[in-house]
Amino acid sequence: MPDIASLEGDPAYDVTWPWTSGEPLVPGLTCVFRVRNEARNLPWVLPPIFAAVDHVLLVDNGSDDGTADVARRVAGECGAGDRLTVLDYPHRVSRAGGEHLATPATSVHSLTHFYNWCFSHVRTTYSMKWDGDMVLTPEGTGILRDLAWQLQSARAIVAMPRHPLTVVDESTGWLDLSLRFLEPWVYPMGPDFTFVKAFDWELREFPPGVERIVLQQGLVLEVKWLDADEYAHWRRDGVDFTNTRLYRKLREFEVDEAIRNGDPEALGGLVKVTAPEGVHIIDHVSRDWLWRQPRPLVQHSLPATLKERVRP
Amino acid sequence: MSNRRVVFVVGSGRSGTSTMAGTLRTLGLHVPQPEVVADATNPKGFGEPRWVVDLHTELLQRSNVQVSDARPRAWLDTGTTSGDHATRERVATWLEEQFSVADELVVKDPRASWFLGLWRAAADRCDATSSYVTMLRPVTEVVGSKQTYYGQMGAGSDQGAITRTAAWVNMMLHTERATRGQQRAFVRYGDLLDDWTQPVFALGEAFDLAGVKTAMAVDIAEVHRFIDPSLRRVTMTWDDIGVPDRLRDLADETWQALDAIASDDSAKNQEWCDQLRTAYAGQYAEAEAFAHSTVVAQRRTAAAQARREAAGQPARSAADHVPHAVRALVPPAARQKLRKAMGRERPQGSA
Repeated sequence: MPDIASLEGDPAYDVTWPWTSGEPLVPGLTCVFRVRNEARNLPWVLPPIFAAVDHVLLVDNGSDDGTADVARRVAGECGAGDRLTVLDYPHRVSRAGGEHLATPATSVHSLTHFYNWCFSHVRTTYSMKWDGDMVLTPEGTGILRDLAWQLQSARAIVAMPRHPLTVVDESTGWLDLSLRFLEPWVYPMGPDFTFVKAFDWELREFPPGVERIVLQQGLVLEVKWLDADEYAHWRRDGVDFTNTRLYRKLREFEVDEAIRNGDPEALGGLVKVTAPEGVHIIDHVSRDWLWRQPRPLVQHSLPATLKERVRP
Repeated sequence: MSNRRVVFVVGSGRSGTSTMAGTLRTLGLHVPQPEVVADATNPKGFGEPRWVVDLHTELLQRSNVQVSDARPRAWLDTGTTSGDHATRERVATWLEEQFSVADELVVKDPRASWFLGLWRAAADRCDATSSYVTMLRPVTEVVGSKQTYYGQMGAGSDQGAITRTAAWVNMMLHTERATRGQQRAFVRYGDLLDDWTQPVFALGEAFDLAGVKTAMAVDIAEVHRFIDPSLRRVTMTWDDIGVPDRLRDLADETWQALDAIASDDSAKNQEWCDQLRTAYAGQYAEAEAFAHSTVVAQRRTAAAQARREAAGQPARSAADHVPHAVRALVPPAARQKLRKAMGRERPQGSA
């Protein structure tokens, strides 16, 4: 009997947790990627992750840009081919927001089920969700690599602030330092730490009173490419941003619009960074720029009216 | 590539870390000044930079961790302290100053293992290559030496030996984990005393240390004078130290695994250390659960004391800690004399 039978009755995509099937969890940290068309970012994203964690589980959800092949190639280049598992999740997953809300949590189309299915393949005592566009700095890599073993004697979740970097061209980018974008990423594996459905997307549960570790600013970049026009459909769809939970998304949209309109200074909280000749802006910001900046990096914060809602 | 090198000499105290640091210093590596001054416990000097010792003491305090801490989770506490940006900046600035004196540094402090992530990041900021020498000495000798030089913790008992053995296992297994995948070497204290030229020459090659590679005859002669085989003053066996069998077996196997890694730093031997770390964490958690009532009682005592202090009441006198039945055995006349001697005479008329 699976723990969560898929609503559609497809046994290959039922969820069976390792503690139910009796498969042991070994001490360590697995990084779980759920990706679609991240071939462009993975050469920046994967090498520091392979240096930091014990295992990488990459679940490809319908990429058509060779994402999985790029992942395998980069893993090979990092000498980490045996630490990468690539899985395929062929079902169309509902978009965050109204579509997600309308999808039952156990449907193969639900973000909730998708996450539970992905994480049920983890075989280490800790797991970490990671996005296909998040780049760790060298110091972030070092801290995470140490945490991968230091956490083994505790039961804690780890939150990390991340800093969105909009890449304008190879040598220019805008870093958004207006918000901390603080989210928990690392969790222990166990029945208390599985995914449930929230209004807009999935939510990873944790028992009350669990220890929470908050890492420093300046360790993670979230890469946005201006030429990819990621927010084009937002403009068309007229997404409702008055909602507190979507404030961060609103900010991303505003930043994209402001840079596109050639007036990012007016928005506030954005810092323009230019890389030296021959160095890519992502490498420059992550390896050489961030650690030299005075702290706190993020000076601004959420509007006071939203603060209480965001931090319950 | 930068010529800057920083060699961290780590491992448990009383394992020859001072001898290793002193040897590298004699061959030309720079020990940041001023150093901790020599004393009877280490007559040839510690090779420890004062600034580093003070920093580590402060950070250990901030992390609520002791130098010899047996708790596996203490690594998480010092690890999170190590990430602090201001501390990283402070350490990188200090290290940069040291590199203005010399390109090759040796940093040794028995507390250093707790903060290797911090030092690695600081060295990276200075464009320096970090390497690690872990000194290995049989656990019975380390614990015996600590008992001899630092005193027994539990009066007349082996409680101190048990705590120290556990702390040694914790320190050594986690130091192995913290340095894994980096430029590192494990050196047996016995090998260093028997013939220091072999392990030290190997370090020079492995870490590309100009000081060692270009050492002149006069420096080498100086090391021979510095290394004194009689330093190995404490040689003990388990027969001299009362430690429960389970912990003793784990400590023995930890020694065997590290001894194997010293010869062959392979994935197989590293996995062996992983298994031992898991076993140690399990054994420690069990002991913690076993002694939980003591922890709860001590927490209550500390809370009560804090409440009393907050209320401005004086702490109880030393005599109050002696059970009433014992105090009653002291004859009244002697009791009066004692009170007088302590300046705690009772007012006239009271019993």
